[in-house]
Amino acid sequence: MKKRVVLLALATLLTLSLTLAGCSKPADTPAESKEPEVVKVGWIGSLTGDQAVWGTCELNTVKMLFEDINKNGGLLGKQIEVVGYDTRGDATEAVNAVKRLTSQDKVVAVIGPNASGQAISISAVLEEMKVPDIATVATNPKVTVVDGKTKPFNFRVCFIDPYQGAVAAGYAYDVLGFKKAAILYDVADDYSQGLTEFFEKYFVEKGGEIVAKEAFKFGDVDFRPQLSKIKNAGPEVIFMPYFFKEVALSANQARELGINAVLMGGDGWPSEVLLEMAKDAIEGSYFVNHLDFDDPDVQEFKAAYKAKYNLPVELNGYLAYDAVQLLVDAIKRANSFDPVAIRDALETAQVKGITGQINISKDTHNPEGKDAAIIKIVDGQYVFQQKYSAK
Amino acid sequence: MSAFFQQLINGLSIGSVYALMAVGYSLVYSIMNFSNFAHGGVIMIGAYIGFFSMTAFKLPFTAAFCFAAFGAGILAVAIERIAYSPLRKRNAPFLYFIISAMGVSIFLENIIIASPIGPTFRTYPRVFSAAPFNIGGVNIGRLDVTMFLISAISLAVLVFIIEKTRTGMGIRASAYSLRASALMGVNTDRIILIVFGMGGFLAGIAGILFGMKYTVYPQIGNITIKSFIAAVFGGLGSLPGAVIGSVLLGIIETFTSGYLSSQFRDLIAFVLLIFILVVRPKGLMGKITEDKA
Repeated sequence: MKKRVVLLALATLLTLSLTLAGCSKPADTPAESKEPEVVKVGWIGSLTGDQAVWGTCELNTVKMLFEDINKNGGLLGKQIEVVGYDTRGDATEAVNAVKRLTSQDKVVAVIGPNASGQAISISAVLEEMKVPDIATVATNPKVTVVDGKTKPFNFRVCFIDPYQGAVAAGYAYDVLGFKKAAILYDVADDYSQGLTEFFEKYFVEKGGEIVAKEAFKFGDVDFRPQLSKIKNAGPEVIFMPYFFKEVALSANQARELGINAVLMGGDGWPSEVLLEMAKDAIEGSYFVNHLDFDDPDVQEFKAAYKAKYNLPVELNGYLAYDAVQLLVDAIKRANSFDPVAIRDALETAQVKGITGQINISKDTHNPEGKDAAIIKIVDGQYVFQQKYSAK
Repeated sequence: MSAFFQQLINGLSIGSVYALMAVGYSLVYSIMNFSNFAHGGVIMIGAYIGFFSMTAFKLPFTAAFCFAAFGAGILAVAIERIAYSPLRKRNAPFLYFIISAMGVSIFLENIIIASPIGPTFRTYPRVFSAAPFNIGGVNIGRLDVTMFLISAISLAVLVFIIEKTRTGMGIRASAYSLRASALMGVNTDRIILIVFGMGGFLAGIAGILFGMKYTVYPQIGNITIKSFIAAVFGGLGSLPGAVIGSVLLGIIETFTSGYLSSQFRDLIAFVLLIFILVVRPKGLMGKITEDKA
């Protein structure tokens, strides 16, 4: 009896799929002969794993923006479809995702990923397939330039680590007047190492002293051994260039150990979750950010996102927004969906994004001269202090 | 000198977290002879049960604690029934159990990510004051003390059950030989369920305490790799071994970071681990070593 039911179900399925296949065939053929009506844009980033919070926000943003564009008649008369793949925060997965996007989905450009490790590893595929990529929050210099050579198909909308490290060091020494700094960093992470290197370099150049430099490894939850050591060195400021989960944990533990030094960090900090997790511990701390969240320019997007997804916008959302702006601008100026033409247009892009003016430099493929925003945490709020540039 | 004691306290506190997790591993291992990698997933679910009991349902800590412990216990039993019991009935090789366990662990992590709970980090409301006890320049967190006491009490109760009760005798007999115990009339199926239930119960406690101390997120289970290693270090299958191995690992890690270099922490801890296993393959207090996976 059981077998018969299964057989019946199988037969029904087969018939159904045949009919469906039969139906879809004629619809497909004319589309293949002409240019496709729908143009695909790729996105990659983490949808699972530790960085899923940011990846999800990026993909939501990219989808939301292209839905709006489609509603308003599309781009160059075409509807845009967003194809997003999960990299699980892994460089190999990122390469696979880009291979799939470029060879199978035939996307005209890729947006993302948010992390440098993944953005660096995808260059070879991009160059082979001749498809441009705009990274969102990948701040490592090597994303666009390696050994003085600019990678032809990699672009980004954010400023880079040396700049961020220099801004933090400059602000700590010149504006806040700190002379003794300690650094706690993630030894297994490119981003954290990059910021550490340049913070140290600029802080020492200015005349400051690094009294302690301690490392942990991604995935750690307890930082008290390192913090106890830092405490004995007696710094005035502790630089914490890593992401908000670890920031929250290490800040709480620092206060628990009786450390009163001011904490400072980079763009891995800003998050609603940080405030929720470590409101008291990070009171009075500073961090370098890509934008001021209260800037009137970003309010419209912030509200639209909140209305659609009922979630707060993470930092990545704002940069994903600008990545889309940059891409749309390039496609319009190229007046074509040819990936190489888009690439050429990207090289000369000058777009007013919501995170600031983005003037892509032909030599570095970075947005040059973008101001950093210094944010202080006051009464559990992110309070914008000033725009600050390192030079 | 106070720096030394501060690091010692840090090490003990990290070690006691490992211990609570390692005991659950060891318990299941002693009966089933395989490494239950799903344990991390059960800990994670326990942490979420505790979190939502306290936030969404506004229950007091003690109630949340019981829910987390019993909820995780029930989950562990369910996992045994669904993922291991069918393998057991077919006398499947141990490798299959391990793969099944990994499957469960990945499933649990992803079900949370895909559910409305999502991948966000969550923070427990504060139950214990953040202000630490300060004894002679050494800061001891209130939560650490509580954790230490709760761990010690749960472990004592566990040892009592295993050493002094009839069920405990069944567990000890089954740990010695599952087949022989079955022949002697021990209901091994029931014993296995009880062991998973107790392992899950401890996982739930570990989950809620870990969540309160750090944070709750779907990848909490990953930390159990450390406690698994601590269990091997102490001798898999031995409960005192699991506790001692965990505390030692915590202290070794802390002192490496504190006195050598934090970059070398895992390197030194694990070189020592390999050294101990080479010199003494059954771990510090392990029982049997042959044919275990």
